[in-house]
Amino acid sequence: MAAASPDSDCGPAESSEANSKWLDAHYDPMANIHTFSSCLALADLHGDGEYKLVVGDLGPREQQPRLKVLKGPMVLTESPLPALPAAAVTFLMGQHEPRTPALALASGPCVYVYKNLRPYFKFSLPPLPANPLEQDLWNQSKEDRIDPPTLKEMLEGIREKAEVPLSVQSLRFLQLEPSEMEAFVSQHKSKVIKRQTVITTMATLKKNLADEGAVSCLVLGTESKEILVLDPEAFTVLTKMNLPSIPAFLDITGQFDVEFLLAAACRDGNIYVLSKDSKRPKYCIELSAQPVGLVRVHKILVVGSTQDSLHGFTHKGKKLWTVPMPAAILTMNLLEQRSRGLQAVMVGLSNGEVRVYRDKALLNIIRAPDAVTSLCFGRYGREDNTLVMTTKGGGLLIKILKRTAVFVEAGGDAGPPPAQSLKLSVPRKTRLYVDQTLRERESATAMHRTFQTDLYLLRLRTARAYVQALESSLSPVSATAREPLKLHAVVQGLGPTFKLTLHLQNTSAARPIVGLLVCFVYSEALYALPRAFFKLPLLVPGLLYPVETLVEGLSDKGVSDIIKVLVLREGQGAPLLSAHINMPVSEGLAST
Amino acid sequence: MGLLDKLSCLLGLKKKEVHVLCLGLDNSGKTTIINKLKPANAQSQDIVPTIGFNIEKFRSSSLSFTVFDMSGQGRYRNLWEHYYKEGQAIIFVIDSSDRLRMVVAKEELETLLNHPDIKHRRIPILFFANKMDLRDAVTSVKVSQLLCLENIKDKPWHICASDAIKGEGLQEGVDWLQDQIQAVKT
Repeated sequence: MAAASPDSDCGPAESSEANSKWLDAHYDPMANIHTFSSCLALADLHGDGEYKLVVGDLGPREQQPRLKVLKGPMVLTESPLPALPAAAVTFLMGQHEPRTPALALASGPCVYVYKNLRPYFKFSLPPLPANPLEQDLWNQSKEDRIDPPTLKEMLEGIREKAEVPLSVQSLRFLQLEPSEMEAFVSQHKSKVIKRQTVITTMATLKKNLADEGAVSCLVLGTESKEILVLDPEAFTVLTKMNLPSIPAFLDITGQFDVEFLLAAACRDGNIYVLSKDSKRPKYCIELSAQPVGLVRVHKILVVGSTQDSLHGFTHKGKKLWTVPMPAAILTMNLLEQRSRGLQAVMVGLSNGEVRVYRDKALLNIIRAPDAVTSLCFGRYGREDNTLVMTTKGGGLLIKILKRTAVFVEAGGDAGPPPAQSLKLSVPRKTRLYVDQTLRERESATAMHRTFQTDLYLLRLRTARAYVQALESSLSPVSATAREPLKLHAVVQGLGPTFKLTLHLQNTSAARPIVGLLVCFVYSEALYALPRAFFKLPLLVPGLLYPVETLVEGLSDKGVSDIIKVLVLREGQGAPLLSAHINMPVSEGLAST
Repeated sequence: MGLLDKLSCLLGLKKKEVHVLCLGLDNSGKTTIINKLKPANAQSQDIVPTIGFNIEKFRSSSLSFTVFDMSGQGRYRNLWEHYYKEGQAIIFVIDSSDRLRMVVAKEELETLLNHPDIKHRRIPILFFANKMDLRDAVTSVKVSQLLCLENIKDKPWHICASDAIKGEGLQEGVDWLQDQIQAVKT
């Protein structure tokens, strides 16, 4: 049993050891398995109900790639591979009993098919036409008409210019030291030049039935920008499709004989969608970065990109959503819990997390002790819902989903705010409202005109009143050029005695003002002032002159009035400026 | 029980009936064990995965067992809890060769022990560490370690290494169970 992993309970999606959704069935940090999700497959290879794990192991640097088959935590068989594996899939070849699935492993230019874990068939990609010039050169060297250094020179010329790339044989020759050339030429000169491409990706496609146990075709993506569909029994090429770029990931739904939809994420950063009978891509989804994984969840294509984000697309290329990831995506795969009808996408990140997303909602976070490079979910051994993970350091983790575990969305921040769903109590549309709305719609122009007329009238009246105020010096700011003055009055106190302070300021730049008088105009029945008329001193420009005077309220009936302040010039009748002071109601009535 | 029943019990003519639940993961050998405990003429030849549950009866020296042989498949495991009330003893079968699913067995056992119908009852539990004949089977001591059986403090339990196909270890377990049930009754 595995040791407790350092989980921490930080959110609803994360879970501690105690209430985790997963049981730690096995953890071997030294399992020495180095692979990617495309090279993992789970299948009942012997037909005994015990599902095995097939691993196309890339091997650590020096070791040879291997095909491993695991039963439970143990390696059952192991066999060396001639080249690095590109993909491993299991599929049913035929209808006859026993219906055990065959294993297909794509490696280099070949697909190795195993039945019952015994080699059954080897399919090689059809050779591509070689460059005639290249063939000609080798023919000449065969007849000893040119020596190896000349051959090298000529081949290098072809490599640089020609559209058709060189064969592997010529490329190997060009890598050699001059001393080794002679031997190589004599060994290989009689061979016919063959140019072969390699398989980049492989997937399966049901032949003519949609059931679980239906016969499937192999679909290969090659380095020569082609997609090949193979016959499940005869391994002949059924159809060939061309792509504008080299496919890196494939996803296919449908049946070959009926209708199918093939999505290929390519190395040019685009996803091409093809259907049956279309030799060219039907739709193209342009990503802004390189794809690192392609998974179909229900009808949505989920793509992970090198920009650390997950994108959802419809098969017609409409972008549905984008979710940012906290770290770089290393691998992706589908999580399908059949008993609950759940499909989600698992994403292995470089920070050691494995996140489970349904659409853009985060369902679960698994913390692995190391960065996870491959993921596979399905039936393993006798347990449905098993998650197999391998890590960067070659470790193998097996987790089993608890029977009672239910994935719930983390909720909260993802959805709309709760206020949005609150229903406002909008009043009913009354008859009046409807009539008004109709009237507004019909006579909008007339209403606008009336409004404009009134607005202009209002502006005119305001302007007139302003002019009048200026003419009669009713404003607290003097407008005359000779005596620029500003007046500002403050009333203090609660009553019946108030203190009235006038602040006078000469706003001219340099000229002082002399000979000004102040006059208060008020109702003598209500107020009494010690001096209603007095002379002002010389006003120096810029300074603020406070002039204080006491006002005594005479009325005890709680009435107030306006006191007018007039600033006059000696010998002139019209005031320079005036201010109206609204006196407050005396609040000291009760005490008097 | 009527007077006649009591009398017949005392005389050993009619044996006391006990209800036993037989639980465990799928493919652990529950049905095979129960089949082996039945009299030789009533045994069936081929065992198929149980759907839902079967009710089987067999007798030991002093008791008459009615066994609810539950299906262990994941989708039927939620049926188990409906029979906890009636059970007077539990037989829990473990596939000793299935290292990977030992955690699943442990999880199911914990769920069983924490169920309100079981938690506060002193109900005897018999564990069969089955499939001892297989090469990669672990010992019964290892099984009890893996399932943390030492944590069960309030219930009598016993673990038996067994090989249900040959019938080895089964009688030992049933004898223990019989003693426990009689100890509880008296």
